[in-house]
Amino acid sequence: MSEQILAALALYGEPALFVVAIIASIGIPLPVMLLLIVAGSLAAQGTFNFGIAVLAAAVGSVAGDQIGYAIGRWGGRALTGWLTRLIGDAKRLEKMDGRIRRWGAASVFFSRWLVTPLGPWVNLASGLAGFSWLRFTVWDVLGEALFAVLYIGFGLAFSDRVQEIESILGDLTWALVAVLAAAIIGWKLFAKKAAKPSATQSV
Amino acid sequence: MQLRRQNLVLALAFVLAIAATIFFGVRAGRKARHIHAGNEQIRGWMSVPFIAHSRHVHEEPLFRAIGVTPNRHDHRPIRDIARAEHVPVPTLIGQLESAITQEESSTPR
Repeated sequence: MSEQILAALALYGEPALFVVAIIASIGIPLPVMLLLIVAGSLAAQGTFNFGIAVLAAAVGSVAGDQIGYAIGRWGGRALTGWLTRLIGDAKRLEKMDGRIRRWGAASVFFSRWLVTPLGPWVNLASGLAGFSWLRFTVWDVLGEALFAVLYIGFGLAFSDRVQEIESILGDLTWALVAVLAAAIIGWKLFAKKAAKPSATQSV
Repeated sequence: MQLRRQNLVLALAFVLAIAATIFFGVRAGRKARHIHAGNEQIRGWMSVPFIAHSRHVHEEPLFRAIGVTPNRHDHRPIRDIARAEHVPVPTLIGQLESAITQEESSTPR
């Protein structure tokens, strides 16, 4: 699959980048990071235009994110029911809604370029929680533009080492996701421990 | 009892998350340290000009090595060239690797 997509990029250029960015942003696992780095390398070789490549990747990603947001927002009862089952119960879903309203802008922005594996989930959750479309779009555009400039820029700078750079950046992304998970779980553990003495005191 | 089990699951998840951070962080660091040690591996999706750029050699000898007329605008992936020439991809990669070695030995760095 990866080979075919990368071959399509070399053959069809920026339009292929645009289409893959849309599909990947919806949540289909495609090697979009490697694709952007290869696009940067092709820009270094004079095959691609850096600005057009950035535009194709950013616009494609934003379009895919909008589809994810729309599915979350107007996906209907079936989706809400499925997510409720996945998360546990309606109370938890409400709690998640509250968190997204509070942290929405930051989670949209950082999941575009820093912790990218979370991006499609944040799109769905933002739509589901009724997070303002305008705020979602503003942070989405900023994040995706940064994502495209950053990764195509990496490809431009390390044009002869695309596979190694992709591998390093992939590991760093997962390390960041793990740090984030550790911070959230650690915070939960800390909050539980802090709540315990007061509970005993009240008894 | 249920609360204790919940705490245990959270603690386990926390340890796992820390372990994953260390694993991916160390792996990224190791790869970054050895980034200039090896050559970029040739893959089926790469075109001849792309391979030439990655390995710092001229593209003409690479095209000639696989029996294709040199053309810097030929961005066909080598797997498509292999199909057109009725040659297995690994054979084509082998021919390209030999041509690169020859080029590297004939051109002083």
